[in-house]
Amino acid sequence: MLRRILFYLALALLMAAVLFPLYWVVVTSFKTTRDAFAIPPVWFFEPTMDNYRRILANRGFLAAFANSFVVSIVSSAIAVAIGAVAAYGLASQDAPYRRSQEKFILTLRIAPALLFVIPVYFLATRIGALNTHWLLIAVYAFINIPFAISLLLTFFNDVPRELRDAARVDGAREFTVFSRVFLPAAKGGIVATMILCVLFTWNEFFIALVLSGRSTQTLPVSITSFLTFQGIQWGALTAAGSLIMLPMIILGLLVQGQIVRGLTLGSVKG
Amino acid sequence: MTTLADPTRYFHRPIVAALGVVSVILTAYVVWLTLRDVSLLRAGQDAFVGADNYLRLWNDPRAISALVRTALFTVLATGIEVALGLAIVLFLDRDFALRRLVRALLLVPIIMTPVVVGLTWRFIFDPATGMANYALSVLGIGPVDWLGSTEVAIFSVLIADVWQWTPFVVLLVMAGLESAPTDPLDAARVDGAREWQVTWYILLPMLRRVLAVVALIRAIDSIKAFDLFYIMTRGGPALSTETLNYYGYVAAFTNFDISYALTIALVLTVFTNVALLTMYGVLFPKSGER
Repeated sequence: MLRRILFYLALALLMAAVLFPLYWVVVTSFKTTRDAFAIPPVWFFEPTMDNYRRILANRGFLAAFANSFVVSIVSSAIAVAIGAVAAYGLASQDAPYRRSQEKFILTLRIAPALLFVIPVYFLATRIGALNTHWLLIAVYAFINIPFAISLLLTFFNDVPRELRDAARVDGAREFTVFSRVFLPAAKGGIVATMILCVLFTWNEFFIALVLSGRSTQTLPVSITSFLTFQGIQWGALTAAGSLIMLPMIILGLLVQGQIVRGLTLGSVKG
Repeated sequence: MTTLADPTRYFHRPIVAALGVVSVILTAYVVWLTLRDVSLLRAGQDAFVGADNYLRLWNDPRAISALVRTALFTVLATGIEVALGLAIVLFLDRDFALRRLVRALLLVPIIMTPVVVGLTWRFIFDPATGMANYALSVLGIGPVDWLGSTEVAIFSVLIADVWQWTPFVVLLVMAGLESAPTDPLDAARVDGAREWQVTWYILLPMLRRVLAVVALIRAIDSIKAFDLFYIMTRGGPALSTETLNYYGYVAAFTNFDISYALTIALVLTVFTNVALLTMYGVLFPKSGER
C-alpha cells in the first residue's frame, strides 16, 4: 500500500514536470501584467481576456494565422497526394527492392535544413520569389514527401494483398485498384499522415524564418516580433503562444495512436 | 509479381527519381557554391576560389569552438534524454490507473510548437521574475542568471531540450517494451532472479535495438537544433551558446556570406554522418550501452 502511494506521488511529480510549462504559458496569458510578474507568483487571480483582445486586434498576427493555415494545409495535401501514389507503387514491390528505396528516402532526411535552405533562398532572391506563398508551399511539400512516403508505406503494408489481387482478377486497372481499393482501406492512415504533416509544417520555424517575407510570415516567425528591443511583451506573447500551439496539441492528441509511429520517421527530418 | 509489365512501377519510380535528381542537383550546386565566394553584399561579383572556404573554416576559431559546443550539446542531450527516458519507462512499467492518460499527456511537450517551448522556458528562466529563480529562492538558493551567464546559458537550453524530448524517448521505448516477449522475464522470475537482475540482464538487452534507434534520432536532431537556441539565447551571451548550425545561419543571413555558410553546412552534414556511423558502430555490435 505504501509502495502504491509512493508510486502515485512520484507519478504526479513526473506529470507536473511534464505539464508545468504548458500550464504556465496558458495561465499567464489570462493574467494582467501585474499578476504575471508578481513574486511570489499568484496562483489564484482574476482572469482577464485583455491579452487575447490585444493579440486578436493585431493585423500582423491574424495574417500570420492565415498564412500558417494555408501553407500547412496546401503543402501537406500535396505531399500526401504525391506520397500516396509513390507509397502504393513501393508497397507492391518485393521486399529487398522496397528496402533499398526506403533507405534512400531516409537518407534524404539527414542533411540539415541549412544545406537545403540557403541555395533555395539564393535562387529565390534571384528570381524574386521570396515573398510568395508558393515558395513556402513548394519547399514544405518537398520536405514532407519523403516523410509521407515512408509513413504511408507502413499503412499500405497493412492492407491485405488479397484485396489487390482480387480487384485485379476482376479486371480493375492499376489506378482503379489504387483509388478504389487502397485509398479507402488505408483511410485512417492517410488522415493521420495528413495531420502529422500539418503539425510539422505548422510548428516549423527555421525554414519559415529564412524563406518567408513580410506578407508570408507564418505564426512561429511572427511571434518572434514580440521579442522587441524595448523588452518582451509577455502578456501578448503568452496569449499568442497559446493560440499557436493549442490547435496542434488538440490535433496531436486526436491521432495519438499513430503519432509514435509517425514520430520515429518524422523526427529524422529537418 | 514484378514482371516488366507490372504497372505499379509507374507509381513510385518517377517520384523517387525526381527526389533523387533534385537532391543530386542541389548537392552539386552546393558544392559548386562552396568553391566560389558568393556574397549577397556583392551580387554578381563572385569568383572561383578553390578550397579557400574550407581552409578558412579550418582556421576559424569561432567555427571550431562552435563545433566543439555542438558535440558537447549533442552528447549531453542524447545521453541525458535516453538515460532519463529509460528510467521513466522502467518506472512506468506496471499496471496502474490512468495509464492511457499518462501516455497521451506525454505527447504534449513533443507536439508543442518549439518556438513556444523556447519562449516558455525563457519566461521561466527570467532572472528577476521567472519561476526557476523563485523555486530556488524557496529552497534557499540564490538567484541564477540562467540565460545571461556564459557558463550557465547552454545548460539552460539543454534543460529545455531535455524537457521537450525525453517524453519522445519514453514513448518510443515504451512501444518497444510492449512488443517485446514477456516469457523470458517470467521464466527468469520463476527461476528466482531478483527484479534488478531481470531488468539488467534480460530486459535491457531486449531493448537495445529500440534504444539505439532512439539515440540515433535524438543525436541527429540535437546536432541540428536551432529553434531553442534562436529563441532563448541567439547564440549569446558572447557566443557561448553558438552551435555550428547556428553559426551557419549567422554566416548566411547576418553576414550574407553564402559560400562560407554553405561550407559550414556541408561540413556539418559530413560531421553528422561520421557521428551517425560511429554511433551505429558502437551501438549495434557490442552490448556496451545503457
